[in-house]
Amino acid sequence: MKKLLSILLLFTFGLSSCEKDDICDANTPTTPRLIITFYDIANPTKTRNVNNLKVIGEGMTEGIVFNENGTDETKYLTSGSTVAIPLKVNDGTVTYKFIYNAASTNPTSINTDVLTINYTSQNVYVSRACGFKTIFALKPVAPFLRTDPDGDTVWMTDVQLKNPNIESENETHIEVYF
Amino acid sequence: MKHTLKFISSIFLFFSVFLGQAQDTPEISPNKKDTIVKPKTVTSKPPVQKTEVKKDSVVKTDRYGLRVGVDLYKLTRGLYDKDYKGVEFVGDWRLTKKYYLAAELGYENKTTDDDRLNSSAAGTYVKAGFDYNFYENWLDMENLITIGLRGGFSTFSQDLNSYKIYNPNPYWGELPAITTDQKYSGLTATWLEVAMGLKAEVFDNVFVGFGVQLKLLATNKKPSGFDNLYIPGFNRTYDGSFGVGFNYTVSYFIPIYKKKVVVPEIKEAPKK
Repeated sequence: MKKLLSILLLFTFGLSSCEKDDICDANTPTTPRLIITFYDIANPTKTRNVNNLKVIGEGMTEGIVFNENGTDETKYLTSGSTVAIPLKVNDGTVTYKFIYNAASTNPTSINTDVLTINYTSQNVYVSRACGFKTIFALKPVAPFLRTDPDGDTVWMTDVQLKNPNIESENETHIEVYF
Repeated sequence: MKHTLKFISSIFLFFSVFLGQAQDTPEISPNKKDTIVKPKTVTSKPPVQKTEVKKDSVVKTDRYGLRVGVDLYKLTRGLYDKDYKGVEFVGDWRLTKKYYLAAELGYENKTTDDDRLNSSAAGTYVKAGFDYNFYENWLDMENLITIGLRGGFSTFSQDLNSYKIYNPNPYWGELPAITTDQKYSGLTATWLEVAMGLKAEVFDNVFVGFGVQLKLLATNKKPSGFDNLYIPGFNRTYDGSFGVGFNYTVSYFIPIYKKKVVVPEIKEAPKK
């Protein structure tokens, strides 16, 4: 009896040390990005693909990676009809340069517009493994501001607010017509 | 979760070995009795009937009383784990030959440091139920191998000390943990547990025991905007409502009264 007891004791001390922490599942909805969808200005119900769009945050040298498998040049370019833009988790405003035709060798065909987004944020509990996430709400007054620093005409003809609450990436938050 | 499952299943596996052994011992003696004794009684029956009863049966006294003790694991863990303070008192009262009323009363204060969260839980708990002793003792031994059921209740508070924000797209860089001092109080939880244990008498009236518990959460009052990551008495919570626990106790038996039981027995049996 005593022998068994000591064996059991050793056994449980061994077990108690190998408790492993869960890992945050990649499918769990965590901090969402801002989703911008592009539409055809001539036919506003239809989405329109952009051409080699590069998006760079203010003060950053590298653009947002849209294509993980691309080369040094092409991984920052997208030619789809939506982009997902990470917001700053610890700030209330973020500014991005949207460079249209960024891959072009002809400098006059490259068009840069700048979009500043103003929002409030809130930290929400997700789970033990994931910790918290941040969700955002675009400000009711001046949620975004489009400027054109290089002085050529804007390529984003019209920017519309679709959904101010950025809680998931399954819906469009801002619509851009061009 | 996989690890937890492994833990539980290996404990059960281990205990099943025990069960086998525990049931072996009592079965040996009746068998022996049958084979050795029967010829004796047959021959002795016709001449004297009165002495036969005295010869073949032994008067055994079962002691009844209160056993009180403390969980050594919780007590000593506070010495080497700075994130843990706890104590658990255990007690049982022998109701019948095999049934015991059992209860545990405890306090725990534990800080859990997960990858993305650091939180503390503190509170008291009580567990009450019964144990069934299925170990057949020889002579005056009073060892126990028990299976039992408990209802548990805990009232506690939680402190969120720091957290990290999970951002799968850290374009602007990963943020350090955010420290807060958010307190969530008035939390409660109830659960059901199946307890397996063994207690061995090492000195007169002093028992050393070991037990494992499989728990099922029944109610869990969670704070709004957070979760109960650790419940005193229930231990760590998982995605489902299962939990596990164990204790290692030292207890003292206070005998209060005795009952004499007439057990038909032969001296040869214990020798084996």
